[in-house]
Amino acid sequence: MKKITKEKLALFWELLARRATLYLPLQEDGVVNFAPWKNGARVNLRENSLVPPKNVFFPQAETYLRFQTGAKKLQLESLEPEEEFILFGVRPCDVASFTILDKVFLEEPVDGLYAKRRRLGTLVSLGCNEPGETCFCTSFELEPAFAPGADVMVWDMGEFLLWEAQSEKGDELTAKINELLDEAAPEESASALSLRNTTAAGEAAAGCQQEWNTAGLQEVLRGKFNVELWEKLYHRCLGCGICTYLCPTCHCFDIQDFSRGLEGERFRCWDSCMFAEFTLMASGENPRPTQKERVRQRFLHKLLYFPSKYGLYACVGCGRCVRKCPVHLDITQVMEPIK
Amino acid sequence: MKQLSERIKEAAFGSLSSGQVEMVIGWQKGPLWWQSFPAFITDPGETASLIWDPFSVSNLNKYLLNEVPKKKIALFLKGCDALGFNQLLRDGRVEREKVLLFGIPCDGLVDPARVEATGLSKGLLQVKKEREELVFYYKEGQRKAPARDFYYSKCLSCRYPNPVTCDEMLGEAVPCQPLERFANVSKLEAASLEERFTYWSRHFSRCIRCFACRNVCPACSCRECIFDIAEPRWLGKAKESGETLFYHITRAYHVAGRCVDCGECARICPLGIPLAELNRKFIKDINELYGEYDAGADLDKEAPLLTFKSDDPDVSA
Repeated sequence: MKKITKEKLALFWELLARRATLYLPLQEDGVVNFAPWKNGARVNLRENSLVPPKNVFFPQAETYLRFQTGAKKLQLESLEPEEEFILFGVRPCDVASFTILDKVFLEEPVDGLYAKRRRLGTLVSLGCNEPGETCFCTSFELEPAFAPGADVMVWDMGEFLLWEAQSEKGDELTAKINELLDEAAPEESASALSLRNTTAAGEAAAGCQQEWNTAGLQEVLRGKFNVELWEKLYHRCLGCGICTYLCPTCHCFDIQDFSRGLEGERFRCWDSCMFAEFTLMASGENPRPTQKERVRQRFLHKLLYFPSKYGLYACVGCGRCVRKCPVHLDITQVMEPIK
Repeated sequence: MKQLSERIKEAAFGSLSSGQVEMVIGWQKGPLWWQSFPAFITDPGETASLIWDPFSVSNLNKYLLNEVPKKKIALFLKGCDALGFNQLLRDGRVEREKVLLFGIPCDGLVDPARVEATGLSKGLLQVKKEREELVFYYKEGQRKAPARDFYYSKCLSCRYPNPVTCDEMLGEAVPCQPLERFANVSKLEAASLEERFTYWSRHFSRCIRCFACRNVCPACSCRECIFDIAEPRWLGKAKESGETLFYHITRAYHVAGRCVDCGECARICPLGIPLAELNRKFIKDINELYGEYDAGADLDKEAPLLTFKSDDPDVSA
């Protein structure tokens, strides 16, 4: 295992940013989000980002086609991501969200844009020292301080960061920045394991604060499409997109054109099943006419339809929706009556 | 606050069991200390689950747009909520006789972010208000602190803590000590055009277009919103600075003169965009151009932006 002392971090960011675009959790106006690092940016390794890092692989809006019509024929130009990047500081829950997004975008038919970004990106995960009040990743058998799917795993040990490559890409990145890394002493390496254990066991304030018994949930929800619960739940939903847009696993998108005169571009952008217009058809028919059907769709998609198709729940327990839903439609609570 | 919470339960039970209303909208409590949320109750037997606590911040009047056409409803209004209710009434969006209003004097509610910022949230189980203090309950005991230190900034500048309208008031009127609400607007007005553009561009660059600010706003009561119309698509769906500015500026103009300054848009914004400042700029301008006007409170005054006078300053200029 390697380590880097915190005094060297500024140098470290600079060195990494020279290799590729470096996405870090940056704080601006009190809000932490992943963004390309620039000199002088305020890096926050203490809090998880508000907007999940899915937007690095699956941007909220991305243009993938430009078109121009002239007198004779239509000209088309495909655009695709070219830039290598390093995504540093992703929490293990969010790393697990990429496994879920991979199911959607990397199985046939493969989504070229997402696949290309997955190839271009190197994923460095930062273990959680102290999961937050609304965290419940352990309810999905995830570890707060370990992400098997990351290329490099990093732990914040106070004075220094521990660094361990976990893949070929991780080895390559380690080789490129080796000059700033030191060998960790055996007892220092052992401290990472002990952090993993204490956070996973939920000891004291170190573990996930929320526990949600998800055992058999998928079975419980089967055949519950028409139960009274949905009738009771939806009234308070404001129909905003906070839960879906802050969710690391929500992946619904729309495709739109923007055109002016004879030219334009085609882009895809996030969409939300909470919006009335989401299922509105050209005929004017809407199969989810009220918020009741929309709220039901969001919960059943994550906890019944997705696991039925792919074998895992589409929730990683990051807690963003629990924290930010203005009316506290708390996913860990609302389905308790069905159980 | 306990007394008020009892009176809320009694009012809810009384109005439902007498058949005066078919539904009561109040607040219930979730398992976490800050989780107080809107509750919709039709069975008098469930009214005991209603609460009033320092986190009962959700404005309930907007729900009338979905619920009222069907039946008569009782709901609870704080000072800010009463202004919003009046605006819905003035905009012709609710029928007064279909609503039973219980007023709640409220001197301020607690912003969970302020509790977190002080570190008091660790292991916190419950927060109660006792007179001017908050009591924080933990497994190991309790701590006390002055309540006002934890209030939402919108509550600190609140000028109508006692509902301006209701059918029955459920508590004693509370005193009003508002901070100057235009302080930030004045600061921004003093900045250069470039500084202001940078300020708003930076904040709006975080907007994720969740529309929470619109959906919670009591002045946003259109049955069909221009931003939801697919054909023609007035607001493009790309996360692009021009589209985002178009959304926020259009919305600010649309609610100008009707915004009651309840501050819900800024409170609810997950990305912390200071939307209330934008609305307050309009309020300040309206006050300066057409004379003081409080949407939601000045029911006997003409709405300045809906009225034409030959001596309006923009006419004489």
